[in-house]
Amino acid sequence: MPDKYDAIVVGSGACGSWAAMELTGAGMNVLMLEAGPRIDPAEQFRHKFPYELDYRGRGRPGLLRRYAGSERNYRIMIDNVENPYTTSPETVYSWGRSRCLGGRTLHWARATDRMADYEFKAASRDGYGIDWPVSYADVKPYYDRIESFIGVSAAAEGFPQFPDGIFLPPMALNCAETIFTAACTSLGWPSTHRRLAQLTRPHNGRPPCHYCGNCVNGCDVGAMFNPIAVTLPPALHTGKLEIRTDSIAARIRMNAENRAEGITYIGRESKTSVDVDATWVVLAASTLENTRLLLLSSKGGLANSSGTLGQYMMDQVGGGGVSGILPKLKGGPSRLDDGKMAGITIPAFENIDTKTRRKDFIRGYVMNATGGQTEFPQFAANLPGYGSEWKKEVKSRYVAQARVWIAGGEMLARRDNFVELDPEVKDHWGIPVLKIHFTHGDNDYTLIEDFQQKAEELFRKAGGELMPGPVMPAGFPGGAGSPEGAPVRQGSGANAATSRRRPLGGSIHECGTARMSVSPKDGVLNSYCQTHDVPNLYVFGGNAFPSTGDKHPTLTMMALAARGCDHLIASSKG
Amino acid sequence: MTRRDLLRLAACALASEGATEFFGAWLQAGMPAHAHGTQPPEPSLLREYKPKFFNADDFAALQSFTEILIPTDGTPGAREAHCAHFIDFVLDASSEVAPEAGRQWREAMRALKAIGFHAAASADREAIVAAMARPERERGAAHPAYFAYRLIKQQNTFAFYTSRAGLIEALEYKGNTYNATFPACDHPEHRVID
Repeated sequence: MPDKYDAIVVGSGACGSWAAMELTGAGMNVLMLEAGPRIDPAEQFRHKFPYELDYRGRGRPGLLRRYAGSERNYRIMIDNVENPYTTSPETVYSWGRSRCLGGRTLHWARATDRMADYEFKAASRDGYGIDWPVSYADVKPYYDRIESFIGVSAAAEGFPQFPDGIFLPPMALNCAETIFTAACTSLGWPSTHRRLAQLTRPHNGRPPCHYCGNCVNGCDVGAMFNPIAVTLPPALHTGKLEIRTDSIAARIRMNAENRAEGITYIGRESKTSVDVDATWVVLAASTLENTRLLLLSSKGGLANSSGTLGQYMMDQVGGGGVSGILPKLKGGPSRLDDGKMAGITIPAFENIDTKTRRKDFIRGYVMNATGGQTEFPQFAANLPGYGSEWKKEVKSRYVAQARVWIAGGEMLARRDNFVELDPEVKDHWGIPVLKIHFTHGDNDYTLIEDFQQKAEELFRKAGGELMPGPVMPAGFPGGAGSPEGAPVRQGSGANAATSRRRPLGGSIHECGTARMSVSPKDGVLNSYCQTHDVPNLYVFGGNAFPSTGDKHPTLTMMALAARGCDHLIASSKG
Repeated sequence: MTRRDLLRLAACALASEGATEFFGAWLQAGMPAHAHGTQPPEPSLLREYKPKFFNADDFAALQSFTEILIPTDGTPGAREAHCAHFIDFVLDASSEVAPEAGRQWREAMRALKAIGFHAAASADREAIVAAMARPERERGAAHPAYFAYRLIKQQNTFAFYTSRAGLIEALEYKGNTYNATFPACDHPEHRVID
């Protein structure tokens, strides 16, 4: 254990593990601090059928009040009792988190999309907010590098709003996806295979997907990108990476020369405080945890000369969507439709240029569609009737299920959506927690209404028949009398019920709160995700985003991290 | 996917530089669970379970009700899936953290008893369920125990289609298995919109 590391990386998810791989690859001695435990994939990721679990995947009643997720994956989620957060009265926001080695990429949706210049430079086009200080040309080499390494299955299409990359063969389409593709063609809408960090052939020593459909419970062979299968092994192989799990970063320590000296962390079990020093400090603990650390590290927030730290919080707009059946598929044979948990993507086709400009809202959204057999027939309890005829009808519809949902809808950045340290509430280790102030604006509502209309139009064109939404049984999450009805501090503002409009959902794509900017007056980070104020402090994650864009954010977060690592390595060489 | 395929993939993975620490043990540990490509049997929990939440009368009535809703016909039904046992098992486990769920179910069983379900002969029970279910299909229809019908139906549906009998034998679910390829749509008629 060196007295001083070349770099400390806080967090082991998509960005942190990439940084560890890049920095150790450049010869640096790196210490990685992970707040959660080292999990055992061989034990945790073994696939089970619901009937093998006592509570059929829902967990012992009360368990999921403490953890998000399901009985199959709650161990890779966060303990909400130990790690609370608070919200302002008008806020309805559920902050989805993981705390374990590998972070949220252990159960992510794997969507791996490049952003385009109409997103990076949106402010120049419609006058709202600020442009990103990088363009597609700046980020493209890093998209290439990451896609080449992690493996992305997709089809190159040539859509300017959905830039192509370096792809493995796409996942095949099931019958419902084929019908939706035909419907898109008929409507004149673009569509393509969903782009996924999931292998369709062996790649860099990893096996391809075996189409079991258990992605969100942790991939048991490492066919989908996650740090413990992909980025941490080569970093460990250098012999220059030390990983300390169960180590909760509490603050960044500064020296008299305005440089970060290191991190103070608290042992998760021991609750003892430990100081570690490094020449470079990289925060990659997830968007809001990064900001929390900056807020904890100095009165008024570290690296906050702009006064924008914590502000402009965003999450891509969710909610709405359509579900039902495609009559063409009704009564067909049982097929492995959900073995890839994928679908098709319908890239934005409005507000992408002057010809497609809408007068009633700015920015846009991406849709997904899929269908066919799923593990549990969510619709069945709402299907009228009972008896043998009802059973036959359930089976007949089971293979014909279909749905259209919003993959990512751009939420406009607003200064009055922000996070701060709660003055009273602390976590299990005595560290102040975040208080979230988060509401949606008019544009967000208009955008989601447009999505809803388009989703229904697509469903009708595909010949779809709508069905009522799912019903959860009593005693289970979401069901009558459910103990999970009001999860612990999971963001249901007291005034939300009196709001004039129903709350919109989020996408677990939180962004902003330490945005990048050309001028130090406008943001916390420069275009390399280096803080404007502290030269040896970098922040990797969604913090940097000046706007959400309409693409899933992980690939762009990783690309910015890779670009930042190049800058850090170059700076370290002098 | 055969065991040979899995061994080939494992060898391929282990050849990767630096992958051994995490990945080797991971992949090999995952293999036995799926190497044979069959769905495992139902555990014995419910077969051996003795009701704890419901009294004997209520449990017998519930069991009968679930079997009317999901009968044994060409495929297994609620009886083979032990749906009533599962409902009792969940409610017993819910008593401390979700007492409201227990209250709802006791109220439902009282309503069922009040309309004579417990005391009715088998054929009469079918008629009682038919009457209770009418509001589900007929706008304007009402029944004092409709809420009990809905509650039992919801939980029974969940219990059945998450059981081996419901998921594997009745629905023929294909997922959660190792597969060499994904079955692409091969229907020309799905590529055109009428």
